Amino acid sequence: MNEELSDRLARYLAVKLDASDLQVNGLSRIPGGASRETYRFRAHYSKDGRNIERGLILRRDPPTSLIETERSTEFRAYQAFYKLGLPVPEPIALELENAALDRPFFIMEEIENCQVASILLPDPYGAHREKIGEQFFTVLGRIAGANPDAIGLGDLDGARQDCWRHEVGRWERVIEEDEREPQPIARAAIRWLKRNPPPQAQKISVVHGDYRTGNFLHDADGNIRAILDWEMAHLGDPLEDLGWALDPLWSHGDPSHPAGTVSRERAFEIWERASRLKVDHAALAWWEIFASLKGLAIWISAAREYVDGRNTDPVNAFSGWFCLSFHNKVLADRLGGAA
Amino acid sequence: MKPEVDQILGLSASQLLGGIAPLLPTGYAQGAVSLVAFMMILSAQEYERAADIRVAENNDVRALFKSLAAQVGDAELKAKLETAAATADSSLKISALDAANYELRRLLISLHIYMESQPGENARAAEKSIWQTLRALADRRALKLPSQ
Repeated sequence: MNEELSDRLARYLAVKLDASDLQVNGLSRIPGGASRETYRFRAHYSKDGRNIERGLILRRDPPTSLIETERSTEFRAYQAFYKLGLPVPEPIALELENAALDRPFFIMEEIENCQVASILLPDPYGAHREKIGEQFFTVLGRIAGANPDAIGLGDLDGARQDCWRHEVGRWERVIEEDEREPQPIARAAIRWLKRNPPPQAQKISVVHGDYRTGNFLHDADGNIRAILDWEMAHLGDPLEDLGWALDPLWSHGDPSHPAGTVSRERAFEIWERASRLKVDHAALAWWEIFASLKGLAIWISAAREYVDGRNTDPVNAFSGWFCLSFHNKVLADRLGGAA
Repeated sequence: MKPEVDQILGLSASQLLGGIAPLLPTGYAQGAVSLVAFMMILSAQEYERAADIRVAENNDVRALFKSLAAQVGDAELKAKLETAAATADSSLKISALDAANYELRRLLISLHIYMESQPGENARAAEKSIWQTLRALADRRALKLPSQ
């Protein structure tokens, strides 16, 4: 199957890159979440008399998609933040039609000799945890501080007023559509979020939507080389991303050091400096509850995909079981402790 | 003596992680096999406790209904709570326990919404009891990572 896919990919890229001799080698599937099939390959071609070899990544829609995310959103986010100088892979091509590879896809630069931390590892960054934390929260601050209109992302999904309501509604609908069994903790969390809304956002930003440990590439020297998985990018309150990044599920077992890196206090300092915004701690507490509810919605959706046989990638089973039980406990402890 | 299901799952997972995954090319296949093995380890835990946690959860929720039904002014909801409180699990099959559990959870959500809408100290205390039950539910179902 990979041979056929290689040939079709080569034909597509030959046209796209205006390189009739383009060849695709070493196409192999790599882990990349359940919402896209991710492949690594090398493209060989000549251009202006030079022989070029590039490592590239193909991100193709699966037969069904976990959360209906817009691949053009992800591609445009890569374009915008690549131009802004943030560590993201260079986007190469976006294809929304099915003719070339049966499903929509996009192609981007491969960031080589890097790794992604598993959320199951207790201390994935070791001696580089502080260095990675500095970069992790600085980049997040720069995303928060960017002007969506100025970088061409002002039309992304989201709300500029009461963005909290837009986001709660979005994930409530996902739960309503996908839950198989009644979810009393998720339902109670939704009601709590609606009863205790946060203040208006101090600024409307591009929200990455899944900014966390495990969604960036880092090298052996502790340099973050690429922020990945922008498929849930939208407009909203920048505290949404911060709340998600701080979530205990992404803390490698130590919530006092989010993302397995620096302390929470240090993370706030770095983020404030990079974003030129202030952390409103009362509002952030709301967004942290929201983060766990959003997690539940995603895991419920993953469980549905798996159980219905639409996408039996083991990541969906893990998400729909382990992550679901994890966030149920986080929310029950946070909200139940306050009851 | 025969190997028990949890032992088979655990040892098979070890085989996959230690003997088979390293033979696969790095990338999606190795990652997927390792994750499957990891879930087999979790499944081994679940084999031992699955019926027990469902029975305990169902009984907890029934006891909660029994203790709070008298505070419910909505006659229809009160009748449902009293009926549910008097039920019992007659089968230990997971499918039967889950079916009962889902019915109880639906009613628990209704009870929670009702109490949130009521004024007064009794309603706040009832909310607290509901959250205690929810916390116990979440605690029982929490999965322990092999490294913990």
